[in-house]
Amino acid sequence: MGVARLKKAELYYHKSVHEQIAAALQETGACQIISSSEENHSRPADVEALISGIDEKLSDVRYLTRTLTPHYVDPVPALDRMLGERPEVTMSELEELASNTDLNGLCDKTRAVEHETAEVRLKLSEARQNLLILSSLGFFPYPLEVITEGTKTLTGLVGTLKAANVSTFRAALGDFSKYAQDSELIIAPYDEKTQDVYAALIYSRSIEAEIREVCAKNGLSTIDMPLSFKGTVDEEREKISGVLSALEAKDAELAAKMSELAKENIPTVQKLSDYYNSLSSRYNGTSKSDETECTMLTKFWVPSDRADEIRAKVEAISPEIELTLNDPDPDEEPPSLLKNGNLVRPFNILTELYSSPTYRGIDPTPLLAPFFWIFFGMCLGDAGYALVVFGLILYVFKKYRKMSPGVKDFIKLFLFCSVSTFIYGVISGSFFGNFIDSFVPVLIPLKNSMMLVDPMTNPMQVLGISLLLGVVHLMFGLLIAAYDKIRHGEIIDAVGSNISWFLFIVGLCLFGVGTGGMLPPHFVQIGSAMAIIGAVIIFIYAGKGEPNYFKKIINGFLALYGSTSYLGDILSYSRLLALGFGSAVIGMVINLLGGLAANIPYVGWVVAIIVIIGGHIFSIAINILGSFVHPLRLQYVEFFGKFYSGGGEPFTPMTLSQEFVNVKA
Amino acid sequence: MEHLGLSLALFGAALAAALAGIGSAIGIGVAGGAAAGVMTEDPNKFGSCLILQALPGTQGIYGLLIAFFVLNKLGLLGGGGAAALTWNQGLQILASCLPIAVVGWYSAIWQGKTSAASIQMISKKPEAMGKAIILPAMVETYAVLALLTSILMLMGVQVG
Repeated sequence: MGVARLKKAELYYHKSVHEQIAAALQETGACQIISSSEENHSRPADVEALISGIDEKLSDVRYLTRTLTPHYVDPVPALDRMLGERPEVTMSELEELASNTDLNGLCDKTRAVEHETAEVRLKLSEARQNLLILSSLGFFPYPLEVITEGTKTLTGLVGTLKAANVSTFRAALGDFSKYAQDSELIIAPYDEKTQDVYAALIYSRSIEAEIREVCAKNGLSTIDMPLSFKGTVDEEREKISGVLSALEAKDAELAAKMSELAKENIPTVQKLSDYYNSLSSRYNGTSKSDETECTMLTKFWVPSDRADEIRAKVEAISPEIELTLNDPDPDEEPPSLLKNGNLVRPFNILTELYSSPTYRGIDPTPLLAPFFWIFFGMCLGDAGYALVVFGLILYVFKKYRKMSPGVKDFIKLFLFCSVSTFIYGVISGSFFGNFIDSFVPVLIPLKNSMMLVDPMTNPMQVLGISLLLGVVHLMFGLLIAAYDKIRHGEIIDAVGSNISWFLFIVGLCLFGVGTGGMLPPHFVQIGSAMAIIGAVIIFIYAGKGEPNYFKKIINGFLALYGSTSYLGDILSYSRLLALGFGSAVIGMVINLLGGLAANIPYVGWVVAIIVIIGGHIFSIAINILGSFVHPLRLQYVEFFGKFYSGGGEPFTPMTLSQEFVNVKA
Repeated sequence: MEHLGLSLALFGAALAAALAGIGSAIGIGVAGGAAAGVMTEDPNKFGSCLILQALPGTQGIYGLLIAFFVLNKLGLLGGGGAAALTWNQGLQILASCLPIAVVGWYSAIWQGKTSAASIQMISKKPEAMGKAIILPAMVETYAVLALLTSILMLMGVQVG
């Protein structure tokens, strides 16, 4: 239980076996390589050579994955993949596959198709653009050659201008007509709604400059036409349409080619991606080693219970090997690996989401696990929902047997929590909301006989239980903090800042409950005594180290004022009632709507079933989210706030990459 | 004037569902914008973005829950006919709806902003998902407390 003990291993070996050693260390998945302590450390030459070869292959693999994956339709659904439906291969199979695959050739092939696609796309967009230009030039009666090339004496332009400017533009051009008889202005038909009017102008080359000036003055912006336009608008349009359909066919053909490439090669590429990534992390790991002329020294952290296995493994490779195992020095900060039994392990993720403990710190996982379990149960709090979740998870476990341990543990967390949800659902009488009261009245006596609390009619009772659980949770946190301080010899701090508050708050609670008549009267005296002792210690401890008596007193009162934060912490647990209440009432509303729907003539029962099933599925989803997030907050903010700050470096051993396939050693 | 009590109570239910719903809609909208931005870079983050976007949605549900609670208390659901209410009782029910209406409205907007920031965070650091969920949940605390207050107040009001 708690943070696993690690050994610092130093492994000396001959350079000739460095590849086998690296492979062996990676296959165990239990070695975190330590960087060489030498300054200006350079990678051992042998490893460096391997890495550069692998990097080349990796860049090919990455290119192929990036380019081909968008064209690949995975026959297996993504959810199945996530839950472990993936090919299983061994490293030696992958090695063979790698030597039989011409990655470079595949890259060239893919690049050729990619390149051609880009060219076709460029031409396509050009053709579409030209078609767009032509679509607005329908009014122009002559071959477009007149504008794009011109004749010996004539040239022309096409542009748009504001409808309001048309008449002034016409007038301005009128002045030129005396010495330019060949000019012609053609305006596209327009009505009062048109803003931009298309206009074409043919004129003698000799007055080009003047014409341009008039155009600019009247806000006519010219349209650049491709020089390829020669014939009339209709002829050109036909020509481009032909080109366009040819290009579209080509584009579709290329896309099919790409899909074909993807279909054929992605499974291989994905396997190779894992293979080369594994090799890369393997040799980047051992590249942190030190070397002499013939030997290498690799240092790594290893959990102490795996040390023997690793010794056996490396000594089988070569007899000329020296492995020393040492406990970490007191001034060293090893990484931390959480090691908990089957019942607690699924909760590890909750600690890791916050921050891993330091190597010598407390692992809060076993401490938070029971509370999280209860809180989740109270928030979801419905026996029917619990059965659905439980059944669904069992089905998933039965169907997907190759799940990765991380995913499995996360799902198991919800399996465990569905049990507490079921228990709380039974004792609070909630089964798909008030389904039993609404639709199966025969079961009401059975339901009522098992009910211990009734949040619907007596919410104050459940509020009391929630706050009491809060007090227990917080006080537990304070005691852990005190234990941690005593462990480090800080007994005065433990008493002053933790035990004092424990006495004060527990005392106040006993006093309050006792005065309320729920406990025998002598608890009132015990309670008040505890509270007073606690308060006095808090008061004195706050003034410690302050020479000025006046300031001592001020500090003491300020410290006592800190009790408001405890009040806030405790009240925060009222969310347990509120969220449990929320899921019960949402369930109730769904049943109510279902009942109303059942009154619709003829089809009522169909609508009712759809409303009830759909509604409860929605309710389960939204309430699980809330029931996960809020109890987690109670752990992180209220509970961890008392004793835990994490800050450890998680243990990250060298492992085989398993992004796409399950790789076995 | 005989229906003033009922009208006040219904006004309360309407406020609870409407204001909390507006807040959630704004909050989810803000978070959704951030999520869409992140997904243009990395569409694979859809799952985690969706969870973070959904967080400010609970206020709307809490509002609806209180509205139903009121309707149920008034006997308007199930066709049994409305209970007779004095205007004073109606005002009490209206008051009971205010905590979730007002707090739901504002907290959902701010929770949406926090969610949006959290979505930005996981776009850079996907491994920080746990922390990213907790930050918006801190805001939601006050909506939960308001819900609790509304429920307790409603249960205390005597009708009929």
